[in-house]
Amino acid sequence: MRVAVAPVGTVLAVLALTGCGAVTDRADAAGDVAVRMLSAVAEKDGAGACALLAPDSAAEIEQSADQPCAEAILEEDLPAPGTVSASDVYGQWAQVRVGGDTVFLAVFPGGWRVVAAGCHSRGERPYDCAIQGG
Amino acid sequence: MRRFLRDNSLGLVFGLLFLAALVGQAFAGHADFNQQQLTEGLQPVSFGRYVTSASFAVDVTENWQSEYLQFFLYIFLTVWLLQRGSPESKELDKAGRESDQDQLVGAHATDTSPAWARVGGLRQALFSHSLGLVMGAIFLLSWLSQSITGVAAYNEQQLGNLQDPVSWGQYLRQPDFWNRTLQNWQSELLAVTSMVVLSIYLRQRGSSQSKPVGAAHTATGVEG
Repeated sequence: MRVAVAPVGTVLAVLALTGCGAVTDRADAAGDVAVRMLSAVAEKDGAGACALLAPDSAAEIEQSADQPCAEAILEEDLPAPGTVSASDVYGQWAQVRVGGDTVFLAVFPGGWRVVAAGCHSRGERPYDCAIQGG
Repeated sequence: MRRFLRDNSLGLVFGLLFLAALVGQAFAGHADFNQQQLTEGLQPVSFGRYVTSASFAVDVTENWQSEYLQFFLYIFLTVWLLQRGSPESKELDKAGRESDQDQLVGAHATDTSPAWARVGGLRQALFSHSLGLVMGAIFLLSWLSQSITGVAAYNEQQLGNLQDPVSWGQYLRQPDFWNRTLQNWQSELLAVTSMVVLSIYLRQRGSSQSKPVGAAHTATGVEG
């Protein structure tokens, strides 16, 4: 019985560690995309920033500004990029705190894409965001 | 082989039905999850990704915990509680732990009694409660799993709604946790109550869970 328990314990430990590792990797990847998007806006690279947006978010920006995403996003009230202070990943979603901003991302075929950015907390209610899809 | 199948058909059939239902739940849950993803303008996920997700795990474990709670309570409470006329109840004069003679333990054990029923002390005490203890332990583990996978699934929804995630401790105070828990508890408790009461007056010929068809409604602790 002791012989059987040891491998099971080892397998569980490895699964827990690889699971944590996978979550950390995903959180880092989400944080990286958030920083790249904010950096692109800061560097006036509208096309680069829009390439990192979720399709619905890019469409929403174009629709509300009535101009191409690459131009419209540069007029949005987004903060300068900073360091990632927290990155939480749950399933297909991530929340990244970068500088003074909160960014929400979701998984798409090319990896993490920004769904909402320039977000400010409203307590129990959903964040109020400068850009967001839907 | 045929004899083995016949002698173990109850366990085997229920085991297979369980697996079929679990696979069916996985496919239906995957389709439902992806329908929601598309509604929110997100990408569908693969089947493999879904069955390893918190969403699937919480849907599975919230049902498991309630089933094991049901059996745990049933096993323990039927030691003391009775129901006149029900085959689910012991006879009315047998409430309680019963004598060693009735339970075939210690000096009253037979040649075919399990070893731990023959010995005294901790081993006999453990074996005497092993069914309830294991059911209770599986209930607690399933409920713990529900809370852990539940907070992950809940937080995925929170982020999708552009809201902050919550900690495990906060999740235990959320309506989502208690709604998932209690909606399963109430259905299991209703099923047990129905079985206890309906089996007083109704019969299923040949079933071990029913009194014989001709047994009196007042006959208690009699199984067919």
